[in-house]
Amino acid sequence: MEDHFEELLLNLKQVVGFIFPNEIELHWGLLIVVYPYVTGLVAGAFILASLERIFNIEELKPTYRLSLITALAFLFVAPLPLLSHLGHPELSFEIFLTPHLQSAMAMFGFVYIWYLMVVLLLEIWFDYRKDLVVWSRNETGLKKYMYKILTLGATDLSDRALRFDKKAGKFITIIGIPSAFILHGYVGFIFGSVKANPWWSSVLMPIVFLFSAIVSGIAIMILIYGFTTLIRWKKFQMGCLDKLGSYLMYAIILDLSLELLDFIHRLYESEESIKIISQMVSSRLFLSLVIIQLILGSILPLVGLVLVRVRPLPDELRRLIYFGSAILVQVGIFSTRWNVVVGGQLFSKSFRGLTIYKVQVLGIEGLLMSIGLLLLPFVILWALIKIIPPWPEAETVVPSAAAERKE
Amino acid sequence: MKYKGKLFRASKEATGDLNAKVGKIPQQLKSLFVLFLVLISLFFLLRHFFTPDTFGKYGHYRAAAIDSIMSQPLRYAGAQLCMECHDDIYALKIESYHRDVSCEGCHGPAIAHTEDPSEFVPPAPRERGYCPLCHEYNPSRPTGFPQIDLTSHNPPKPCIDCHDPHDPKPPHTPEQCSACHAEIYRTKAVSHHAPLLCTRCHEAPEAHKDQPRMHLPSKPTSRTFCGECHAMEADSPKDIPRIMMSDHGIGYVCWQCHYPHYPEVR
Ligand code: HEC
Ligand code: HEC
Ligand code: HEC
Ligand code: HEC
Ligand code: HEC
Ligand code: HEC
Ligand code: HEC
Ligand code: HEC
Repeated sequence: MEDHFEELLLNLKQVVGFIFPNEIELHWGLLIVVYPYVTGLVAGAFILASLERIFNIEELKPTYRLSLITALAFLFVAPLPLLSHLGHPELSFEIFLTPHLQSAMAMFGFVYIWYLMVVLLLEIWFDYRKDLVVWSRNETGLKKYMYKILTLGATDLSDRALRFDKKAGKFITIIGIPSAFILHGYVGFIFGSVKANPWWSSVLMPIVFLFSAIVSGIAIMILIYGFTTLIRWKKFQMGCLDKLGSYLMYAIILDLSLELLDFIHRLYESEESIKIISQMVSSRLFLSLVIIQLILGSILPLVGLVLVRVRPLPDELRRLIYFGSAILVQVGIFSTRWNVVVGGQLFSKSFRGLTIYKVQVLGIEGLLMSIGLLLLPFVILWALIKIIPPWPEAETVVPSAAAERKE
Repeated sequence: MKYKGKLFRASKEATGDLNAKVGKIPQQLKSLFVLFLVLISLFFLLRHFFTPDTFGKYGHYRAAAIDSIMSQPLRYAGAQLCMECHDDIYALKIESYHRDVSCEGCHGPAIAHTEDPSEFVPPAPRERGYCPLCHEYNPSRPTGFPQIDLTSHNPPKPCIDCHDPHDPKPPHTPEQCSACHAEIYRTKAVSHHAPLLCTRCHEAPEAHKDQPRMHLPSKPTSRTFCGECHAMEADSPKDIPRIMMSDHGIGYVCWQCHYPHYPEVR
């Protein structure tokens, strides 16, 4: 308790202007920054996979399954920052048992379950079912049983069944896109609907969140595709990378214009909060918003990606630009989340002062925990890749129905 | 009898139909149907057994949560309790400017002290750094809230040397500029310009004292202003040092070289 006061006193020394007593300390810290960042990656990766599926984009084939299981890996981690933020995580399951339909926050669990069970897992299951069946026949030992269980007993490999898998997959993709929009739009909605906070309260918030999600999702797929191709000693399919690069470019353009629209709208509306917000942007958030989010995270990658389109560059250089842009975009989008979550709490509701946020290193809401939570999806992804390899060459060839009958 | 046979046949056809239809449902859907059925029943089962007993008693929450919050240890006693033993201080404070500042706001949580005064004695913030938490000059504090500039307001003495924390006497209202511009005042007070009133050089509207920023006083704007006293031909007391306005520091205003509140010649 005393330590806590000491800390508050230190913060108080850096407060500028007038703030209310309960505003010295931020309540939503680094973990709450990680949460929208991770769900954004889920939604973005899934939407990328859906584009491939619905529009049948041949170049993106190598990333289809990879995107799906990347989305899954990040989705598993998405609720963890929230859980670790709770004072009583062990009571959190009660929120499922007693749904509160009028509370957007309380509905998160259901949005999440819907997306996990009805969209992502189902789509992956339908897509992998024939492989699961074949693997369950060819593998031995424990693995055999694992695959058997994963098939859920649906071992029919007839043409009709396979055709149904395809149709069902497509159908789920079609429900999946609005669902992915809802999942991440939902996160934006939570912030956008806080009436009392002028930095958050904006109808554009869910939309801006969504497009930044798409940006980050495409960028992470460029990185994951690049990295997995490298460590598997495979040749890059430049067609695929070019396509991803061009999507990334369009997504950044859309995202950037939406954010500028939001910005101009705020300036033009010029509500009473505009003074403190501009003070915040030019002081506390200058580095993370102007330098990192805008210049490093949006404009610089955009310049690179446009350059690739207007000038024929050698493959090597193009790859470098794609990876460089993708990394910058990740940093930029993380910064975006930071600016929304932390920025919204830095200024006083009196519009007269700014507080400060210092990231702790240790502790359940600290830096190490957040780094752990950001690495965890990659561990899960690695495990998923081991269980259901997403590579095109791992895909099994189904013995034709005729051969089946002869057996 | 005939009728019955017909019914039987019809139902047999129907079940046959159903069988055929069920046969047509893809195997995948059947498995998924079973899986989701299991999960949904599991949900209802869990809901039945694990919904907290007191849920919904008062509203959409666990009524027992109130008890668990109530059972948290109390830390603050409240001023009423302090009064029982420190009635003198209480009586003093309730009439003072600090009437709205709670005892434990300065002395810290003190419930342990009320239970056994000898066991735990709350600390008293005697050091100079404490009061400025509320009284240090800060432009965003409400107008009229008593504020001081820490660096110039009687350093380095502790505040309680001059102010009784339980009855901070109302100091006279700032009729002079020194209340706010203490540093300039003090600087000027020991300079060659000490005898000059601030208002000799600044025309300060009365409203400046209430809303300083909204009604700013004037400042000298030209060399001729200083020349009113310092020019060779100026009609001013003899002991004032004179300069040749036409060649002294020409091209600059005087205060680019002389600080007007502490003019020095070296
Ligand atoms: C039961 C009677 C009693 C109550 C109630 C009580 N006090 Fe005291 N208080 C005492 C006594 C007795 C002392 C002298 C203790 C000593 O000097 O060992 C004392 C001393 C103090 C001191 C002196 C510390 C110092 O450094 O000299 C402070 C401050 C104080 N009390 C604050 C409070 C506050 C604030 C409250 C209300 C939350 C309160 N007391 C309620 C009996 C009480
Ligand atoms: C503005 C801050 C402030 C508030 C409010 C305040 N105190 Fe104090 N109190 C002090 C300081 C500072 C001292 C030390 C005075 C000294 O040593 O001369 C002190 C000293 C005391 C003492 C020690 C005896 C004495 O007079 O030196 C007691 C007892 C006490 N306070 C009780 C109370 C009670 C009871 C209240 C509420 C009715 C209260 N205080 C409110 C700041 C405060
Ligand atoms: C929790 C905030 C707080 C703290 C701490 C605090 N004060 Fe105050 N002080 C006030 C408030 C509120 C007033 C009343 C202002 C008003 O009347 O508008 C006040 C009034 C005063 C005044 C009267 C000024 C006037 O002319 O109206 C003096 C002097 C003063 N305090 C001195 C002190 C000293 C000395 C301390 C440290 C022992 C101290 N204060 C600690 C809040 C505080
Ligand atoms: C040497 C005695 C002395 C000390 C030490 C001292 N003051 Fe004062 N204080 C005064 C006098 C005298 C006045 C009234 C004269 C004036 O208005 O400038 C005053 C006025 C004030 C006022 C009222 C200002 C206003 O605008 O109404 C506040 C608040 C105040 N002091 C707070 C403090 C605080 C806080 C400290 C400790 C950092 C402190 N004082 C230390 C003598 C002192
Ligand atoms: C209630 C406190 C207060 C009093 C009393 C007060 N001032 Fe000021 N004064 C201020 C503040 C606050 C400012 C603005 C300082 C700033 O903007 O940094 C200011 C600014 C000024 C300025 C600078 C104007 C400028 O354009 O930069 C002058 C000159 C000035 N005051 C003169 C005076 C004179 C002369 C008096 C006495 C007749 C006086 N003030 C009394 C608070 C006060
Ligand atoms: C000899 C004339 C003279 C007198 C007397 C004088 N001032 Fe000034 N003051 C000036 C000039 C000239 C400036 C403009 C300095 C500049 O613009 O750099 C100034 C500027 C200021 C400012 C603006 C801030 C700053 O430091 O530049 C304040 C505040 C101020 N004076 C307050 C006072 C107060 C309070 C007094 C009385 C204690 C006072 N002045 C007496 C000439 C004077
Ligand atoms: C009301 C008349 C008056 C005005 C106006 C005035 N002064 Fe002075 N000045 C004096 C007086 C009186 C002295 C001190 C003479 C003495 O030391 O006996 C003085 C002294 C000085 C000195 C000499 C200090 C020394 O070390 O000897 C300088 C420099 C100076 N003033 C600069 C200025 C400047 C610059 C201005 C314009 C901002 C100004 N004065 C406006 C009356 C005035
Ligand atoms: C470029 C810088 C500069 C400017 C501008 C300037 N002075 Fe000086 N002033 C000086 C220096 C240096 C001295 C001391 C050396 C000297 O005696 O010449 C001085 C000395 C003086 C003295 C003291 C003369 C004595 O005999 O003791 C007065 C009075 C004075 N200045 C007034 C003014 C006035 C009034 C103005 C504006 C009209 C002004 N100064 C502008 C630099 C400047």
